[in-house]
Amino acid sequence: MLVVEDEFLIAMDLQLILEAAGWRVLGPAATVRGALLLLDDEMPSVALLDVNLGNEPVTAVAEALSALNIPFAVASAYDDPERFGGEVLAGVPNVGKPTGRRRLLATLEQLTEA
Amino acid sequence: MNMEDLYRLLRTGHVQLQSIVDTIGDPLLVLDDSLCVQGASRSFFQTFNVGRDETIGRPLYELGDGQWDIPELRRLLLEVVPKATAVIDYEVTHDFPGAGRKTMLVTARTLHHPDRPSHSLLVVFVDVTDRRRREAAKDMLFGELRHRIKNLLAVAQSIARHTATEGRTAEEFRDDFLGRFGALVEAQDLAFSEQGGTGLAELVTRILSPYSSRGEAVVIEPGPDVELGPRTIMALSMVLHELATNAAKYGALSTPAGQVRINWQLEDDNTQLRIEWAESGGPSVTRPSAAGYGTRLIQSTTTYNLGGHVEQKYEAGGLTSVIVIPVGGAIPPN
Repeated sequence: MLVVEDEFLIAMDLQLILEAAGWRVLGPAATVRGALLLLDDEMPSVALLDVNLGNEPVTAVAEALSALNIPFAVASAYDDPERFGGEVLAGVPNVGKPTGRRRLLATLEQLTEA
Repeated sequence: MNMEDLYRLLRTGHVQLQSIVDTIGDPLLVLDDSLCVQGASRSFFQTFNVGRDETIGRPLYELGDGQWDIPELRRLLLEVVPKATAVIDYEVTHDFPGAGRKTMLVTARTLHHPDRPSHSLLVVFVDVTDRRRREAAKDMLFGELRHRIKNLLAVAQSIARHTATEGRTAEEFRDDFLGRFGALVEAQDLAFSEQGGTGLAELVTRILSPYSSRGEAVVIEPGPDVELGPRTIMALSMVLHELATNAAKYGALSTPAGQVRINWQLEDDNTQLRIEWAESGGPSVTRPSAAGYGTRLIQSTTTYNLGGHVEQKYEAGGLTSVIVIPVGGAIPPN
């Protein structure tokens, strides 16, 4: 699965949780460009996105994922990620930040089952 | 009562009424049942930048070349108010050619005349344009604050999860964690200080102050002014803390004679910041066989968060670390 998060410490935390649960992590990527490059190489089954990547929103990555029919969740401290990341994030599950392990894993399971 | 007394009484009444109307700070209109203006307060003329002569006696929706022809307001005054008797704080936003975009709270009340079938309307406009703007700014600030707090907690959560536990006592774990947590606290304080911008010199001094109790142990050489953004402050604080805590455990700051010298320069047309951390006088050091969390934190925070790189040399005299990061709006590549 793809992880996009610009703060290394948070990215590392997510990666540890995910790998301990048996996921193989693609990335983490800190920027839109980095995430799109990863998507060129490999199609993940699901993705987890931070909304605000320093000085750019994650929007372009979310749009690319939508076009590829790859389900994704956001891990955002914002209550309404679509306000910052655009319409493409409306209705997308938000696992929150700080991210709880159970909620994260349950959400990913739901997304990949559907 | 003769005619003169009656006239005086009426005139006094009229003057008093007009005074009441003019005393009201918010724009007020008195309209007849066909929405013609019978009276207006001074604040109405001021707020909407219109004159008395072009207002009194004319239909509301013709005022100022039809700028008051607001379908929403017309419907409110012609249909809602007569049925409901009063409407309180109904919000209307409209672009006025003279006064700009205004958000108003409209309060209107019907006045029934006891001896005629007609009625008048009292309409008060409270201009909340500035208030709404301030509220929106405050909401945004509050949202940012929440976002910042949650991010901070997420970083603290990560530090807690990653600080090594294997082969360590609970006290050792706690001290390592609190050391990192302390750096995070200092970084927050610097990044969002009320005084505005934070310079590199201030950051280095703050993060290293717990290690500077012995006179010559930490030498911060004067360098060029470098203003840092919140993200850079946070990442550099963590990196400098790891360097310092490592030096205190294994390096130059673990012995009385040891010293750390820190200096920095701007390079490549002020687009690159080069920070050098040089330890001397301590025990001889060798590269650890496996990178611990601290070392990974130094490396990855610099590359991942700051788009820079770190070079660490373990030499006989002590560890030297060189950190190079882009500054001045350069976007870190991934």
